Amino acid sequence: MNTYVCMYCRQPSDPSQLTCPLCGAPVDIREAVSDSGWVKQPPIRDMAKLQFGQSHCQIAGTTVPAAEFNLAQNEMIYFSHHVLLWADPATRLQNMSLRGGWKRMMAGLPLIMLEAHGPGHIALSDNHAGEVIALPMQHGQQMWVKEHRFLTATGNIRYDWGDNDVWYITGDSDEQEWHYPMGQYGDIFTAADRPGLLLLHAQGNVFIRDLRQGETLTIQPSSLVYRDTSVRVHLHLEYPRNMGFAFWRNNWDYRNIMVRLTGPGRVAVQSIFERPEGMESIRNHSYATRRRW
Amino acid sequence: MRDMTEFRFSASTCQVEGELVPVAEIALAPQDGVYFEHHILLWKDESVPLSSMQTNGPRRTLGGMPHIVTVANGPGRIAFSRDAPGELVVLPLHPGMEIDVREHAFVLASHSIQYSFIRIKGLANMLHGGNGMFMDRFVTAQYPGLLMLHGFGNVLERTLRPGEKIMVEPGGFLYKDSSVTMNTVQMPLKTGMFGRHSLYLAEMVGPGRVGIQSMYHHHGSGE
Repeated sequence: MNTYVCMYCRQPSDPSQLTCPLCGAPVDIREAVSDSGWVKQPPIRDMAKLQFGQSHCQIAGTTVPAAEFNLAQNEMIYFSHHVLLWADPATRLQNMSLRGGWKRMMAGLPLIMLEAHGPGHIALSDNHAGEVIALPMQHGQQMWVKEHRFLTATGNIRYDWGDNDVWYITGDSDEQEWHYPMGQYGDIFTAADRPGLLLLHAQGNVFIRDLRQGETLTIQPSSLVYRDTSVRVHLHLEYPRNMGFAFWRNNWDYRNIMVRLTGPGRVAVQSIFERPEGMESIRNHSYATRRRW
Repeated sequence: MRDMTEFRFSASTCQVEGELVPVAEIALAPQDGVYFEHHILLWKDESVPLSSMQTNGPRRTLGGMPHIVTVANGPGRIAFSRDAPGELVVLPLHPGMEIDVREHAFVLASHSIQYSFIRIKGLANMLHGGNGMFMDRFVTAQYPGLLMLHGFGNVLERTLRPGEKIMVEPGGFLYKDSSVTMNTVQMPLKTGMFGRHSLYLAEMVGPGRVGIQSMYHHHGSGE
């Protein structure tokens, strides 16, 4: 009986391989854990193979990796059209129907998702230096993914998207500006009937952490890559103690906008994130915790 | 620097994680502190207090520099990263040292290091040098300290002898000892009968160390 469990995807796996056939993580390495408990997600090795259903996927390259699929008959993947790198003429491509087209367009989400049906070959890549993350999902498992991090998923994973409810408003009543530090919407993937494979692309290096029940952490909103849906998220505002400057602006305007994560569950962050937005006064915001130092 | 490399400064420790876009994770001891530009904070323990440091702001703001530098004090953990592939450069500073750093390259410095900034002199330096209008200056007085920078791509260092010169693409300049002088030199280039272009390079004159980065914005072509 196989008792080996991959330390990254947490699935029973095959220790006789060089890399986990489910998530591509190297088998022959020791876990790299920082002193505070972050686990470095090891990059998937060049040419590592992942198996799903009767199909398989090979990760090519390490700086801007591409995911190359060999799709079997009656198996399919879906993806945002802009990550398509190349495809066999034999691979059948078709539109995937999405709800809420207007909202997606207004929120800057991809409007066109494609399905690729086997048999055939197809390759996908994001155009940023970073890592491909493979998340094999078990029956009933659900995952929240930050917008624009999704690369592809197998057909048996259900795709939905929902409001993140992390926002704040700046500006006067005439010129109000809404800010969504984590993006307005997040992608939600569910392995409803059968296990499946979800591939993400993260920029820079990726670190994962398993939060205990009630454990909290404050992070830059745009650095979050994915989280178990059991991890709760809300806005967190920190106001550093003023050390004497008081020119032209209210002292309270200077703040760090972060999100507070509360366990239990796994979270992943990437080391590249967007710079926080300006220093305008916050007029209103979603539920938030505050800390004034 | 190898993944998960750990080193000490004062009573605190720093661990560098990742190799593509590395993260600097600091375990601050009580009484220790670090300061940083606020936009590079990746995550922190809730208990780590933050405060702001005055930097004579408006002049810096006009020059595109952040006018607020944030201070984090121990005890607790805090982590930083910048938004591009590159390397973290760790510069332990002994008492009495002065280092000039390209704007926006500074990641963090320990509380014992004094922070100021200098305006780059000369119109040619400002307009054509590609270094912006200011350089950050870090000075240690009585106590040693730790300075950490981020360089795009790979970072290389060279130590110049007194009077020795090196010409550097201005976008590649990262840091220098304050004993190294920097001037912009115009190099006229002829391209055919009527074509005439100028190439601006930063001339560094020793003695002292010069750090350069291998990935940079090319100011001549805008690429």
